[in-house]
Amino acid sequence: MKKSLLAILFTFVLILAGCVNTKSDVADKGNDNKDVKTDNSPVAIELLGMSTGEADMNIVRDQLIKNGFDVKLNIQPDYGSFTAQKDAGNYDLALSSWTTVTGNPDYAVRSLFKSDGDNSIMADEEVDKLIDQASTETKEDFTKTYKKLEQHLVFDKAYIAPLYNSFKAQGVNKEILNVDTVRLAKSRASAWESIDFADTSKRATQPLIMQQAIGVLTSLDPIKGNDGSINTLNTNMYVRLVNLTDDDKVVSDGSLSLNHAIAEGNQSYYFLLRDDINFAAVTNEKAVDTGERVGADDVVFSLNRAKDEKSVPDHRTYSLHESMEEIEVVTDLTELDVKQSGSDVTVKEALEEGLDAKITELVEDKNTADNKAGKYQVVKITTVNPFPQVLNYLAHQSAGIVSKKQVESINTYDVETFDVNTDIPYGDQNTVTEGAKYNNTLYASGPYILSHKNDYEAVFLKNPAYMTGTENEAKISNVAVRFIQDPDSALSALRNGEIHIFNGVPETKYDLVEGDSKLTLQKSDSNAVSYLLFNTENREVSDSEDLRKAILYSINQDEILNYYQGNKNKAVSTVSPLVDTGNELVADPAKVKEFLEAYNANK
Amino acid sequence: MNSYKKHALKLSREYTQANFAWVLSFVVCLIFLVNSFNYKEGTIKSFVFTIFLVYAIFTMYQLFLTWKIKKDLLKFGDIQPITRKLGYIQLLSILSANIFTASFAFNLIKKKKTPEYTFAVFMVFTQLFVIAVSTFNLFKPYVTDTFLPAMGVLVGILIFQIVTLILVSKYVQDESAPSWFLIITIVLIITSLTGNLFNLLLGISLVLKTRSHDRSRIMKWNTMWNKITRNSTAILGMFFIILMLSLSVCSKYTFDYDMAVENDYGSLLQKPSLEHPFGTDDFGRDLFSRIIFGARISLLVGFASTIIPLIIGGFLGAIAGYYTKRADNIIMRLLDILYAIPGILLAIAIIAAFGANTMNLILALSVGAIPSYARTMRANVLMVSNYEYVDSARALGSSDLSIIFKQIVPNSLAPMIVKATLTIGGAVIATSSLSFLGLGVEPHIPEWGNILKVGSTYLESHSYLAIIPGLAIIGLVLSFNFLGDGLRDAFDPRMD
Repeated sequence: MKKSLLAILFTFVLILAGCVNTKSDVADKGNDNKDVKTDNSPVAIELLGMSTGEADMNIVRDQLIKNGFDVKLNIQPDYGSFTAQKDAGNYDLALSSWTTVTGNPDYAVRSLFKSDGDNSIMADEEVDKLIDQASTETKEDFTKTYKKLEQHLVFDKAYIAPLYNSFKAQGVNKEILNVDTVRLAKSRASAWESIDFADTSKRATQPLIMQQAIGVLTSLDPIKGNDGSINTLNTNMYVRLVNLTDDDKVVSDGSLSLNHAIAEGNQSYYFLLRDDINFAAVTNEKAVDTGERVGADDVVFSLNRAKDEKSVPDHRTYSLHESMEEIEVVTDLTELDVKQSGSDVTVKEALEEGLDAKITELVEDKNTADNKAGKYQVVKITTVNPFPQVLNYLAHQSAGIVSKKQVESINTYDVETFDVNTDIPYGDQNTVTEGAKYNNTLYASGPYILSHKNDYEAVFLKNPAYMTGTENEAKISNVAVRFIQDPDSALSALRNGEIHIFNGVPETKYDLVEGDSKLTLQKSDSNAVSYLLFNTENREVSDSEDLRKAILYSINQDEILNYYQGNKNKAVSTVSPLVDTGNELVADPAKVKEFLEAYNANK
Repeated sequence: MNSYKKHALKLSREYTQANFAWVLSFVVCLIFLVNSFNYKEGTIKSFVFTIFLVYAIFTMYQLFLTWKIKKDLLKFGDIQPITRKLGYIQLLSILSANIFTASFAFNLIKKKKTPEYTFAVFMVFTQLFVIAVSTFNLFKPYVTDTFLPAMGVLVGILIFQIVTLILVSKYVQDESAPSWFLIITIVLIITSLTGNLFNLLLGISLVLKTRSHDRSRIMKWNTMWNKITRNSTAILGMFFIILMLSLSVCSKYTFDYDMAVENDYGSLLQKPSLEHPFGTDDFGRDLFSRIIFGARISLLVGFASTIIPLIIGGFLGAIAGYYTKRADNIIMRLLDILYAIPGILLAIAIIAAFGANTMNLILALSVGAIPSYARTMRANVLMVSNYEYVDSARALGSSDLSIIFKQIVPNSLAPMIVKATLTIGGAVIATSSLSFLGLGVEPHIPEWGNILKVGSTYLESHSYLAIIPGLAIIGLVLSFNFLGDGLRDAFDPRMD
């Protein structure tokens, strides 16, 4: 009896055991690609990134490992140490990202991939040729050229492995703000002047509270910085010749120009200036009208210093403006009688469109300009080559108009012998930081002016002489920008009403904002692209195209989109969000195997 | 007479433990009750509610037992055999993983408890829990290749342990054990390789009782372990630590590491289910597997970064304490400098300089802890080296080294062991903190601090991702602290 019981128990256990699927059973059935690992030991890849990109790095690591690579992560805590590691060449792949803030495709590739670009680590004649060719073409033609560029850059040579294109997401407190007045643009920094409270009676008493991650401001001189610390601030402090709409069209709305026109040949650009903006200054924490008008001489001065590498020490944006050859004030009315590019009307007619008073006289002195009387100022910009995308660069914050008089009176130092310890340049953040060094010398041509800042926030005041009486006049008198680095903390601040707008809601937190009854989530496409940059020097990946392609085809963008709950777009290169080239990167384990074998054979 | 009975109530181990058991069981009960309602939809989660009911029944029964014991004690002055028999029913509560009531039941049914009996009971508990936890893998689409043989071995060991438990409760006396226990002992010590250290403890204890004729040594051993086993929190802490240790050893064969590290984009952020008992994280990795594998690193770093400073600090402290004046001055002043540097900052600096991996993590945490061990050791040595037996050893012409390591060090070890147990908890926290800050091991490697870091960003939408690793850290640290407290009481002669 006992024996038979034991036997029954034993068979029962055996049957149960038979029902259990083991890992190798599953692997055999699924014909997993894991068992096709080659005899060669896995190739070791070093992936460099910042701790903020930890999720992306983990996905890439996982995808590479599943395709038979061995991955070592090099995670740096901040941008400074990341660049230090990158400059030292301690990487095979660097997790990089790029945002085309000017909204034109040329900017998306020029500085990154051209041999002489500011941020380029590669040199490829074919790439240079295609970038230059595309820059002279109009929209209809450059799509093909950029498609060719992508084919060469990504698929043929695999200089980069694209990951995704992000959305822009902004949380707005709808109990306090009128959501319809809050813009979310694809490329340009957010415009504060349109924002209004739900209760308009609070405009003068209550501050609008914004948020920004970085509290150390590079420089408040527009040409001396091009990064997240000042882009939004300078955009709202300095007016430009043109603006970008929310979907990246170049317009004169809300800018210093009433109208602009391109003359035949795409080399001359004309801007008709308005006369209702004065510079503002700050005295005793109050914004005052300096009485000095923003005019053509300031435009000429600002753009000349923008394109001249030697105009200031530590010039960070001249490469954006190198395409301009000459900036001049037009005083001869007959000069405007040339035809407009691609149409039959003259430049003069184009500039006059929609104006109450036609142009009767062009004046040299800005103070004599009087638009109602038909006295206008016109600025003409000539480019080195035909280059319609120059307008996008003019809409960038670095082309902001500064006061000729004020900047010249502050920047009295000699550029060659500039000494950071003794010379104080215009826009130095120390001059607006609370404390002994405070000496606010800013002259703002835009809707707001920075009054003072500390580590916690920066306070902006409304420019009292900025397009008063028009729809572009700033609605809210005070703007405070809180410096909150961590996106999760910023989201908490938004949710408990500490800040009113949070630009940069993390993808995985959209539902939290949407689920909050007092918040609205605004979403739009953006020009931000994340990609893996291959090292081009002294590494296996720099020499072997096969190895690079093996890595390229290991990247599965579908899985990345999945991780971000669908809140990302696919991308092939940094121009993807700007030009629909029709290319797509499809992960292919078979190709990975093929390229890896080719790499091992050539080793 | 009445006061004698009241005194009996106060003295009774069983009564204290009974109260302890029902209170904790009640708390667990409440947690299940609170979780069994879906507040948004106003419905009852039947699965959780069933668990609550089971726990509620055992808690009620526990309350009944407690009342019965109290009545017995007040009426008769001791617990009646019938009450002890009723404890057998409560043994069933082990099936609901209620360790509090089950361990009490084992205590109740046996009147005269040897340390071996307690070891054997907890040995079986540990094994049962390891098997139960591993069994959850059956709900996964597949199990690792070694799962079936490993489970076979574990079940085999369990059967052997149950047999041992019965034999121990029948034959082992307070002061001796039959000599044929030696065979069992050998098997016990071998099976302790599964990480179940209760096997080892029971083995050592049995060896002592079968082989040794030194009655005072056995008595000393008994007294010490009696003090620890009488302390419910200490023994439960010890149980949790050994369970974690055993799990981290067995998980190598019963869990699939790929499930803990490989991303699965098809099952992101899933709620807890049978397939994923703790749900999945934002990369689709099984949180249950990650927690199990995370115990390995936490324990390894915790133990290693305690033992290294214990040895180095202990050695330096012994030298400093024995050779007073110059050697003492030099060593202690140098260590004072080290002591002045905040430990966690030193660790961060070391990791920032040499990179983040397990080895550096251990070193970084060890270095900062050396001075405090050296101080403790020095103080003990200063005290012990004035005792007569040291003087007599010196008079007999023993060398300094032999005096230090044969006479002084063994007699100064007890406070060091207590200190070590109490600081292991700190080391576990430090490991997790560093990982949480991104300074520990690589982010994909399952480590409790890492898991908590991911979870902390989902605190609102998927709170279990943060709560579970948090509970694991709390549980382990608390266990070490309880065990440390128990050890301190056991070693402290004033507590007799």
